[in-house]
Amino acid sequence: MIRVWRKARTLLAVYFAYMMEYRGEIFFWMLSGVIPFFFLSVWTEAAARGLTVHDERQFARYFFAVFAARQLEIVWAHWNLSEDVRTGKLSFRLLQPLDPAWHYLADHLGERGVRLPMMLPVALVFVWLYPGALAWPGAGPFALGLLAVTLAFLLNFAVSYAVGLLALWLEDATEIYNLWYTAILFFSGMLAPLDLYPEALRRFLTWTPFPHLIYLPAALWSGLAVDWRHGLLVLLAWTLFFFALGRWLWARGRRHYSAMGA
Amino acid sequence: MAKALEPAVCARDLGKVYLVADKEPGLAGTLRHFVRRRYRRILAVDGVSFRIEPGEIVGFLGPNGAGKTTTLKMLAGLLQPSSGEVRVLGYEPFERRPGFLRQITLVMGNKQQLIWDLPVLDSLRINAAVYEIDPATARRRTREFAELLEIEEILTQPVRKLSLGQRMKAELMASLFHLPRLLFLDEPTLGLDVNAQTAVRRFLDGYRRRREATILLTSHYMADIEALAGRVMLIHEGRLLYDGGLPELMERFAPYKEVRLELAAEADAAGLAAYGEVEEARGRSARLLVRKGELPRAVAGLLAAYPVRDLSVTEPPLEEVIGRVFREGRL
Repeated sequence: MIRVWRKARTLLAVYFAYMMEYRGEIFFWMLSGVIPFFFLSVWTEAAARGLTVHDERQFARYFFAVFAARQLEIVWAHWNLSEDVRTGKLSFRLLQPLDPAWHYLADHLGERGVRLPMMLPVALVFVWLYPGALAWPGAGPFALGLLAVTLAFLLNFAVSYAVGLLALWLEDATEIYNLWYTAILFFSGMLAPLDLYPEALRRFLTWTPFPHLIYLPAALWSGLAVDWRHGLLVLLAWTLFFFALGRWLWARGRRHYSAMGA
Repeated sequence: MAKALEPAVCARDLGKVYLVADKEPGLAGTLRHFVRRRYRRILAVDGVSFRIEPGEIVGFLGPNGAGKTTTLKMLAGLLQPSSGEVRVLGYEPFERRPGFLRQITLVMGNKQQLIWDLPVLDSLRINAAVYEIDPATARRRTREFAELLEIEEILTQPVRKLSLGQRMKAELMASLFHLPRLLFLDEPTLGLDVNAQTAVRRFLDGYRRRREATILLTSHYMADIEALAGRVMLIHEGRLLYDGGLPELMERFAPYKEVRLELAAEADAAGLAAYGEVEEARGRSARLLVRKGELPRAVAGLLAAYPVRDLSVTEPPLEEVIGRVFREGRL
């Protein structure tokens, strides 16, 4: 157990140091994730005209939560893997008695350690622009939201990793992940709170992972009603499915690895 | 763990075939490739068999594309062989068992495992954790290796700031940090200057002696092979041409000596050709290859016929012997 802890601690510390070298890029990357605030301006206008069931403050609270959830769930393991397969850098990972997935996971968690404090200035600007919009959701919803975001991150990571493994057949799988991202964009609650979607579509989506990736934590943090038990279970089930798919692809794909470039 | 009498490496009819997409250039070629993909089978390694005993150091030689690196990658478990069998330290490499991975390393002179933007020490920290080396041992080993490689001063510098020679030494340090018993070294001195090459060679030789390690080494620098390897394997177009001692190789493929001449006056190559194969004749210097049986007669003839200022007889350079074997493709 001590050895596992030492591995985890070392990987996290070193990848955090690595990501600190890229703090400038991470800051600008975070700024490029302010899309929810554009939708916020559209929806607050609609709310001001009395066209929606939510008021302006509720929209502000919701879209800030969307921004925060999205920032905490960003993944790029598909890019890492495609790059490592194409250049042959994966060889060095394969030579070590540690599954390469741990390196990629530590890379993400290290980055999160750098990104998290950078969200503070954005929050301050938001508070200045929308005074009184940010409210403490309560310890329970906050903790459940964190749990949902953690599961959503793991699911995104599992999907990204599984897609990245396709590079063992295709050399480059980065664009395939965009299909997943497109579905997130439309069905996760990034464009609008899902309670504004048609009932039939909502019923269908509730069994897919998408609404639970963003809408679930955002609703918990912004005080909207949500069936969190169902959401967490669906997230867990899809995470396990994509984790198993990743293991299956890894076992088969490694036979195709040509170790070119290294 | 490998049994006492078990070979470190045992390959039997080992083969590797790559499927490579064949695409003609231009728009038409692109469209044809899209509609109907054509693949070519490249036989990179063709039924290679050999054994390496524990503690042996073997030079693996061949021209570019001969199959050396592919073979090393199969032995290190990176590639799955297309045919044949391979056992390394009693393990099947492709299974990547932890017990196997803890005992081997693969150093690739043209690639690096060190984290580019961080100091060398950070990469060593990761290796120490991954190979479960306790912190005190890791610190001691860092000091010991850094001293031997003379890189104490650079361990806290980002890898991207290091010279090629410093980086290669740091790569070696990282690759050997877990004290592997079996080293696969693919061009470990590639691109290094003479001093750095010598330092790397000395370090590897010292490591082998201290750890009784087994080494399979590829290099285009024959000085590496001559300094380290007692046995060589020659591979060409995926097939093993020769497997044996270096002296035997020279005896078998170089049944001649090299005669170097410094003359008082210029001599033409045509005249010198009567005494041996003229490799070089420039101004007052010449270099001839003379069959060993004909050496006394040739030397006597040269001394009698030319105003010789200096004459030396040596073995021909290993590069030339190997090059000759590959050019003639002979066995």
